[in-house]
Amino acid sequence: MSTISTALRNFKEPTKEQLTQIFFSLPTVPSDLSENASEQPEKMEINAVLSLGDGEEDSYAGKLHIMPPYLAFTSLDRKSVRFTIPLSTIRRVERLNARAGIYALSLLTWHGMKIIVQLTSLRPTADLFCSMLRDSLKVELQKGHMKLVKSFVKTCYSEELVSSSSNVADNEREDGSLISEEKENPVPRESTYHGGLGLKFKFPGDPKKLRESSKIKLWTTYLRTHGRNLTLMRYPQCTRLVQVGLPNRLRGEMWETLSGSIYLRFSNPGYYERLLKEHDGKTSISTEDIEKDLHRSLPEYAGYQSEDGIGALRRVLQAYSFKNPELGYCQAMNILAAAILIYMSEEQAFWLLEVLCDRLLPGYYAPSMHGTLLDQRVFESLVQRCLPIIHDHFQAVDVQLSVASLPWFLSLFINSMPMVFAFRIVDCFFCMGPKVLFQVGLAILKINGEALLQIQDDGGFLNLMRDYFANLGESAHPQSADPRARAITRFQELLLVSFREFSVITDETILSERKRFRSEIIHSIESFSKRAAVRNLKTLGRFTKEQAGLIYDALYKAMCIVPPPPTVAPPPTLLTTRDSGEEKPETRIGLRTFQYFLSEVATWARDEKIVMNGFQQRVDREVAEHEFIDRLFFFWDIACRGALSFQDLVSGLDGVMFNDLMENIEWFFNLHDKNKDGYLTKDEVLTLSESFLFIFRYEVGDAYLGAVSRFMTNAFEYGDALLPQPESKPGEERELLSPPPVASNQPYLNLATFRMVVLADEILESFFETDLSASFKLQPLPEMELPISSGGLLGDIWSTIATDSNKKMFNMFTDEIGKTIGKHQVVHKPSIGRYTKLEEPKARESLLTPAMRKSPSRTSLVSVSESTVAPTVSAASTSTLNVTIPTAESNKALPVVPDSAALSALPMIQAANAALMERTPFAIDDAKDDADDDDFFADDDDNDDDQVMDEVDAFLEAHDSGLTDADKKVANDLLHAEPVK
Amino acid sequence: MADAASGSTDKSVQVKLVLLGEAAVGKSSVVLRFVSNEFQPNKEPTIGAAFLTQKCRLEDRVLRYEIWDTAGQERFHSLAPMYYRNAQAAVVVYDVTKASSLEKAKSWVKELQRQANPNIVIALAGNKVDLVQSSGASSAGPASPESEDEADDATATPGETPGSSGTEPDSLRQVPKEEAQAYATEAGLLFFETSAKTGEGIVDIFTEIAKKIPLEHILAASRGASGRSGVGRASGTQQEAVNLQEDANKPKDACNC
Ligand SMILES: Nc1nc2c(ncn2[C@@H]2O[C@H](COP(=O)(O)OP(=O)(O)OP(=O)(O)O)[C@@H](O)[C@H]2O)c(=O)[nH]1
Ligand SMILES: [Mg+2]
Repeated sequence: MSTISTALRNFKEPTKEQLTQIFFSLPTVPSDLSENASEQPEKMEINAVLSLGDGEEDSYAGKLHIMPPYLAFTSLDRKSVRFTIPLSTIRRVERLNARAGIYALSLLTWHGMKIIVQLTSLRPTADLFCSMLRDSLKVELQKGHMKLVKSFVKTCYSEELVSSSSNVADNEREDGSLISEEKENPVPRESTYHGGLGLKFKFPGDPKKLRESSKIKLWTTYLRTHGRNLTLMRYPQCTRLVQVGLPNRLRGEMWETLSGSIYLRFSNPGYYERLLKEHDGKTSISTEDIEKDLHRSLPEYAGYQSEDGIGALRRVLQAYSFKNPELGYCQAMNILAAAILIYMSEEQAFWLLEVLCDRLLPGYYAPSMHGTLLDQRVFESLVQRCLPIIHDHFQAVDVQLSVASLPWFLSLFINSMPMVFAFRIVDCFFCMGPKVLFQVGLAILKINGEALLQIQDDGGFLNLMRDYFANLGESAHPQSADPRARAITRFQELLLVSFREFSVITDETILSERKRFRSEIIHSIESFSKRAAVRNLKTLGRFTKEQAGLIYDALYKAMCIVPPPPTVAPPPTLLTTRDSGEEKPETRIGLRTFQYFLSEVATWARDEKIVMNGFQQRVDREVAEHEFIDRLFFFWDIACRGALSFQDLVSGLDGVMFNDLMENIEWFFNLHDKNKDGYLTKDEVLTLSESFLFIFRYEVGDAYLGAVSRFMTNAFEYGDALLPQPESKPGEERELLSPPPVASNQPYLNLATFRMVVLADEILESFFETDLSASFKLQPLPEMELPISSGGLLGDIWSTIATDSNKKMFNMFTDEIGKTIGKHQVVHKPSIGRYTKLEEPKARESLLTPAMRKSPSRTSLVSVSESTVAPTVSAASTSTLNVTIPTAESNKALPVVPDSAALSALPMIQAANAALMERTPFAIDDAKDDADDDDFFADDDDNDDDQVMDEVDAFLEAHDSGLTDADKKVANDLLHAEPVK
Repeated sequence: MADAASGSTDKSVQVKLVLLGEAAVGKSSVVLRFVSNEFQPNKEPTIGAAFLTQKCRLEDRVLRYEIWDTAGQERFHSLAPMYYRNAQAAVVVYDVTKASSLEKAKSWVKELQRQANPNIVIALAGNKVDLVQSSGASSAGPASPESEDEADDATATPGETPGSSGTEPDSLRQVPKEEAQAYATEAGLLFFETSAKTGEGIVDIFTEIAKKIPLEHILAASRGASGRSGVGRASGTQQEAVNLQEDANKPKDACNC
């Protein structure tokens, strides 16, 4: 009753290109719209200086990327400024008339925002870039994507905001040309924008306290000048506005914009609805699990006490499980989905969930939850580096960090702290990425540092955390004489500490730490599931736990190489409610995987060639294919499912590996008795002989061949002699091809006769006595190579050299040379290897006197066989063993690699430590001590707008535009430049 | 608030107890009933694990249960060892209306017996018996005052049909009491059928565990690890100690530790 997954083995570190895509939140899945382009669209990046048309913002030097159908920019520091916009939102591109040597473009978006980019690379590069841009724009136009923009943005609340508030005309800008343009079409506005349950059931929190209207005002101003939804330019102000908390009505859309899920929604119109329709009425384990949790997701929120909310939640979770059945549904996803549905429509939530599970929280909700475990390990290591005193204390009192931190990460703090606070962390998370979780986590520990040093056990830790979260709204400095300091809440303090003191934790830190621990985590998950699988066996048979573990290893390896088809639950009708043992999905392997498995445990199920070419000696192993193996597969498939479980394999092997002579003969007989009537037909006798020949195919000398031909002769002789039919004459002729007295598919040879025939031959007898059982070998497999996960240069080079195909090439190469110099030699490795010389034992004279023919007494036969076979056993075991060494050698170069990963992480850590040195550990910052905090709150308490602004200012960071004064002047001039005619 | 236990009177013994079992069988509800004598029809699924404490008075001594309530979904399984390490007691919960949940319970028991603290006291609890009792039959337990109708229409429990009083309720039962009892006896577990909703059998589990736990042993061990100052902050969720004698109106003999 266990599922075995090899998914973790398939992990590949993202390429540089993928990292760029991730950075710009670009969809990685081929979207509906771009699928026909079989050839990858070309990509290019170029140095550029970005300015905005209205000149409100500084100019920033950075890199401009064209990755059709997107155009993206990031400032050099990769955090101050960035944007990702679909090309289809660009309406006009003009080359600007500027000073000699300056190459600048003006891009006009559909809503009239002017983006000015000065291409600062060499001229030919700039020309190339321009022509690529032109071509890609043309493609978008031809595909008709330009037309989609207008209808899409109608679903965005920001458009409503920007246009409606310009009607309100509270504070117009002088350069309002584009805004007045918008004003010209005050269409009777029926609200077409998407929104969440909050519109109907209210948003959590008190709007007055949250200062909603001030925030909306600030955002409206920002969005009007910096683009919105598909065209949002992210300047430092944007990040700061996010850090003080998104306004409820805009929150959902900003989440999808900041996380990039908006691009998925934009490029896959109608997908969500179709997916639901296609799977209408389908059930699965996931849908069952979802059903259980629907009423258990933020139950205190009014929306989820009504069918509106429950239905939306059900559809979104189900749709995701249909889209990604391998992941399906994991508890905690219900919390996330319920949370985001308060702020966004089902379709928006569906795509955001996709981005969450796929990109932002990779592997968190997978069946093995490897991402969760990995990030917990990463978090622990960051705590060790950044807060060593706390870490040491936890070690000393044996407190596990994850008992508290695991739910933080898994449900984005949503059920750890009051929702209004959790959502503000979520705001930052979507804006700044997964590092936020680590930053906030570290800040929580740091702020509670002194108390944490007092705790003695896991329970104390959790209680402390619970109390802290329950009081996040309280003043952080209640004793302070300064009213402004008193006004700072614990939550504000938390964010400040997170982003100021732990800004050293970057995306790169997280990535490199993940690399460092990935294989450790994979190994521990794998050994855990191995233990569980062995424990869950209904019976071990005669195997020890260790032996069962070896069988598991062979199975696991086979599954890595020949992955079985994804497990499908049997249709519910086949399930009887009481037979609950079968309700759980169980990993089963098909014939192809089985062949591989068997080649690991049975010597005759593989073709092994010992190759010597003068340079190396190696064993080339291939999986053998033969009807005999298929037969075994179906023989072990007791439940007739066409697939074998781990248990089937264990029981199957148990049925042959411990057998004595008689049991083996019977086992072999039964294996070939297809209809299990106790008789072999003539056909089956022939197949059985073929099985012999298959098993013996690589034995040295003719001994086995002789034995098999004697077997056939005898089988048909005695078979005919013992036939029940009276009319069959006891024919003297012994040829195989003599006309059969019974049809070839009629019962012919029973077990007793078979036994006699076998025991008439010394070779076959010893085969059944020991060799058959011994041909199954459970040996520890060499450690399988994990996907190389070290980041160092060395690791990369090695992993590119040491691919399988390269090894093959090396082998081929040396083989060729070997052939030229005459040293190439290939020997098949025998499966049994009893006879290494060409000498062979003489055929034994028939032991079967006619008197014995009727009923051979079992005991008498046993004693005979024992005496004859014993001496040869030792020879068999020595001759098979000595060949495995060369393959092992070729794998051995690896262990050097992992260390280099540790090195690459170091500078970051040092930086982190250096940053911490400046502060006394655990001191809670008093606002008065810190110059930055002085204007944290305005004196005028009534002025909400100012307050928000001040809060925003608290997040001010130094931003480096990467430009000299001269550069800035050039950029500024461009704002007024005319297009080239 | 006044937490006597944290003052570590010598008589108070800490017992770490872990709850395991399939998703939605009612682990968190059982704990909630025991700790606060409440029932919430829609409890959020447990993510990772929840931690609660409750004191019990047993004869002359006070027991302080530190309860780890774990997540039930299969994929959280690999996290469980983190929570059951060093546990002195475990309550493995299944749902009497769901046969597969007993299988899962058995596999938990197996895992605990092989993997956990060797002296661990394990109790098996067949929860949600209220669903298989004809209405009004449940007599035991401190039935909470909150309306049970409300619970009925909101619970997502499979098979819980509104108006089930008319149909024969026992048809919902998928695990016969005898079967579970026989298994429990064979595996050496304490066994109860319980209802977090009505309160039936809940306190009994914890009482019987308390009686079976080798308290002297634990006391000795924790005295060894001195310096255990009572920092386990009195949290708001801590109730007054449950008086076991009263609730489980049975005469208690001195505990057999
Ligand atoms: N009728 C009835 N319903 C119950 C009982 N106990 C729990 N439930 C309901 O069953 C559902 C699941 O209960 P939980 O306590 O959250 O289950 P859990 O085992 O903690 O679930 P996970 O945390 O997901 O593992 C809830 O809707 C409860 O209201 C009971 O004794 N009777
Ligand atoms: Mg729970």
